[in-house]
Amino acid sequence: MSNQKEEKVIRKSTWDVGEVSFPLGEAFRISIENIKKRFARAAITSASVMLGIAFLVSLLLMASFQTVSGQTSGTEPYMYWLLFISLLVCGVGITNSMLIAVAERYKEIGTYKTLGALDRHVLELFLLEAIVIGTIGGLVGYFGGLIAAMIYAATNSSIGIGKAVTALGLPNPTIPLVGMLPSAVALFILGIGLAIILSLAATIYPAYYAAKLNPAEALRYEI
Amino acid sequence: MKSNWGDYMSLRYEYTVETEDLAKYYKLGSFVVKALDGINLKIRRGEYVSIMGPSGSGKTTLFNMIGGLDRPTRGKVYIDEVDISKLDAYELAWLRARKIGYIFQTFNLIPVLTALENVMLPMIFAGVRREERIRKARELLTLVGLGDRLHHKPAELSGGQQQRVAIARALANDPAIVLADEPTANLDLHTGLEIINLLRKMNKERGVTIVTATHDLKMIDVSDRIIYLRDGRVERIETRAEVAVEAEME
Repeated sequence: MSNQKEEKVIRKSTWDVGEVSFPLGEAFRISIENIKKRFARAAITSASVMLGIAFLVSLLLMASFQTVSGQTSGTEPYMYWLLFISLLVCGVGITNSMLIAVAERYKEIGTYKTLGALDRHVLELFLLEAIVIGTIGGLVGYFGGLIAAMIYAATNSSIGIGKAVTALGLPNPTIPLVGMLPSAVALFILGIGLAIILSLAATIYPAYYAAKLNPAEALRYEI
Repeated sequence: MKSNWGDYMSLRYEYTVETEDLAKYYKLGSFVVKALDGINLKIRRGEYVSIMGPSGSGKTTLFNMIGGLDRPTRGKVYIDEVDISKLDAYELAWLRARKIGYIFQTFNLIPVLTALENVMLPMIFAGVRREERIRKARELLTLVGLGDRLHHKPAELSGGQQQRVAIARALANDPAIVLADEPTANLDLHTGLEIINLLRKMNKERGVTIVTATHDLKMIDVSDRIIYLRDGRVERIETRAEVAVEAEME
């Protein structure tokens, strides 16, 4: 009997354990399909990112415009607080919708694992989804903010479109991190970057939790 | 030395699944639920085994243990003579991809993927080339009678058709075992029978070992052996010959 047991231990090496893979291209395609399937919620999540970024872009642009027209000396400290709070609120919103998105897919996650997915493959699926949602939200938010700021400039007699366009091309040192670039470019980079970071940060916890579930638990899960 | 190797090979090919004193306890508050309590089983290559028992008898837990989906509290599970409790996460993923095919009561197809893509998915994880994936998935779907439904999504298929896709998916990487947890429970009588016959056909023609957890009596007719579970223990084991004799005596 003991002899037999030893033999079994040796035999572990007789399995030729090969590769387990999940190419990024396939993961990306599935993420896009997932977003399309749950389009309404993805759009709402994206809208939450969009509003946060639009607020950021319009606030900082208005400050730029006012500086160019000689009204103020740029971004006031309280504005950073406003931005911080607005992005925080937006982050809570995204985390909430990502928690739901993950919870309703526990069973699917379990299924992926039975087919050979590793934890990081599951994580990959959700993080890719977050990046796509963040990018779309950031892009739309940037242009939304830009339009809002231009409307503000056009309706304000002391600024006007002309000065606003000049301000877009000039660097605004009060814009955090990328203040040396022309305002329009700086806010584009800052806006989309923040949108992706925000969306990823909000998704990491739920996605990590989902990826760590053991398959039996995930499959048992009913909502 | 040479004869040892021969012994080893014959052993390797005798049992696909072996459990030794397998137990799984769950803690519910101060309560300990013994879902499985000392299961010893040996399932031969190419066998069609049904695990029967009332709900709560431990069928699904046993399914999860054999399938490497959960860790036992005590005891061992050998798949192709390898103790799977010794495997790390990567090796377990490989085991699930290559050695075991799963079929579920609720079909569990990925809703955003077509039938073809669902069957291709385990081959993606197993690192099969794209052309080969497509060829194999088409072949399997044709085999289960869905050659004309390749590009339908699960929501566009009936329950029976979805289960056929699931069977094709389970066979994608030529696993050593197909584990089916109540595969007919969500299907009507007729469709359930079709699925059972399909499983039997795969077992006969492709030599796949099939283990089903079920309380569908139709499954008895096609099983080589029936293992009855009760309260987490093996109550009795019947071979088909015995079942046939019993039926005759009645």
